[in-house]
Amino acid sequence: MHTTPVYIVCSPRPLVGKTLVARQLSEFLLLKNGDVAAFDINLKEPSLVEYLPGITETAEVDNTFGKMALMDRVIVNDAVSKVIDLGFHAFDEFFLMSKEIGFMKEAARRGVSPVVLFVADNDRASARAYAALEQQIPPTALIVIDNEYVLRGELAEAMGHGRILRIGALPSFLKTYIDRLTFSFTGYLRHEQDSSTELHQWIRRNYLSFRELELNLMLERP
Amino acid sequence: MGGQGKFMAKPVVIVVGADKGGVGKTTVSRTLLDYFNANHVPTRAFDTESPRGTLNRFHPDITEIVDMTTTSDQMKIFDTLNAVTPSVTVIDVRAGLLSPSLASLRDIGFLDAAKSGQITFAVFHILGPSIASLDEIAETANFMQGAKYFLVKNFINNTSFFEWDQATYNSYFHRIKDATELTIPKLNEMAYEQVEVASVPFLKFVANKGPSDETANYSFVLRGYVRHWLSNVWTEFDRIKLTDLVGSGKPGARMGEK
Repeated sequence: MHTTPVYIVCSPRPLVGKTLVARQLSEFLLLKNGDVAAFDINLKEPSLVEYLPGITETAEVDNTFGKMALMDRVIVNDAVSKVIDLGFHAFDEFFLMSKEIGFMKEAARRGVSPVVLFVADNDRASARAYAALEQQIPPTALIVIDNEYVLRGELAEAMGHGRILRIGALPSFLKTYIDRLTFSFTGYLRHEQDSSTELHQWIRRNYLSFRELELNLMLERP
Repeated sequence: MGGQGKFMAKPVVIVVGADKGGVGKTTVSRTLLDYFNANHVPTRAFDTESPRGTLNRFHPDITEIVDMTTTSDQMKIFDTLNAVTPSVTVIDVRAGLLSPSLASLRDIGFLDAAKSGQITFAVFHILGPSIASLDEIAETANFMQGAKYFLVKNFINNTSFFEWDQATYNSYFHRIKDATELTIPKLNEMAYEQVEVASVPFLKFVANKGPSDETANYSFVLRGYVRHWLSNVWTEFDRIKLTDLVGSGKPGARMGEK
C-alpha cells in the first residue's frame, strides 16, 4: 500500500526559517511528484501562501472549523504529499489537538505518514517543545532541522540524538535574493546555466537532503 | 439487548437524575450505556421524558419511553427486574422528577429491597451550578440509605461548582458521607453538536458509523475529540469501579478504546 507523507514544519519560535524550509520542500515535492498540497498556518510571520499561492491554502487551528478543514484533509491517503507550515503561535494548539484526536495513530491506520520537521533553536522554549514532541512523535518521524543561518553554534545536546537535516547558511545577499516573493528554487535550478554557483549548490544540497529523507521514510515503512 | 456477557444474579438499577433541567442527565446516561456496551454488560434503559424521549433517540434498541408517574409504567420497570436478561437497568429521570421518583421507590418498598441487599441501587445525581441544585443533595440524600450515591459534576457546559468559595463547596459536597464525587469533563461544542445531529451513541460516532451501523462520514477531528472525551469519562467510571458495582468484574480490553 502506498502511503502519503505529511510534513509538518514547525518551531515554537518565530523567524527561524520554517517558511524557508516549507517553501523548498514544497517546490521539491512539486518537482518530483508533480503535485503537492501546502497549508499555511501563519499569521505573524513571512507566509508560505505569499510565495507559493498556486499550491498553498491558508489554514487555522484556533477554532474547531479550522481544525476540521485542515485535519480532515491531511488525514486522507490520496498520494498527494502535504506540507504544513506551522507558525510559532499555533505550535502548542496544533500538537495538543493532534494528541487529543489521536492523529498519529489514525494516520498510521490510514497509511498516512506524518513527519515533523522541527526547526531547532537554542532557547528554552525550543528545548521544552522538542522534549514534548519526543513524547508524542515516534523517533523515526521526528527530524531536527539544523538551520545554520539561525543556529550559529552547536545544536542543543538533547536534539542531537535523533535524525538531523542540515541547511547550510547562505551569505546575506543571497538570503535577500531568495527571500523575494518571486524567487523559485526549482526555477533557479532550471534557468541558471552555471551549476557551480553557491546558490545552485545550496539548493541542490537541500533537495538531495529531502530526497534522502523521503527514501529513509520509505525504507522504514512496514 | 446490550450485547452478550456475564449474567449477574442480582439486578442493578441505576437512576440518573436531577431536579434541575439542562444539567446533562441524558448525556451522562448515554455515556453509561456506551460504557456498559463496551464492557459487554447487558443493559436496558428507560427514558422518562415521555412522550418525546431524548435517550431513546440515541439508543432506540435498548431504550423504552415510560411515564414514571404512572403505576403501570412503574410496574413495567420494577416488576421486570428479575424477569429480563439484562440485569442492569439505567433510568434517565426527567428534570424535576428525581425526588418524587425516589419517594415513589421508597413507597413501593424498592429502597428497602436495596437496603437489604436484594437489589443493587445507584443514583447518579447530576448537579447544576446553582445553590438550588446543590440544595437537592440534602433532599436526595434522605433516600440514599442502601444506595450508592454519586454526585456528578458535569463540566460539559462549562459549569463551575463554587470551587472558588470553599466554604460553600464543603457545605454541600462534604455534607454527605459515602457520596462519591464524579467529574464529567467538557466536550468540544462542535463535536457534541455533531453527535446530536447524527443521533447515534458516542461509541458509534467514534467508530464512524450511522444509526444502522452503516459507514458514516463524520469529521476525523470531531471523532477524535469525542474519543478522547469518552475515554476520560470512562476513566472516571473505572475509578469508581462501576463494573464491580454491576458485578461484572474489572474492565478489560473493551471496544471503542483502540
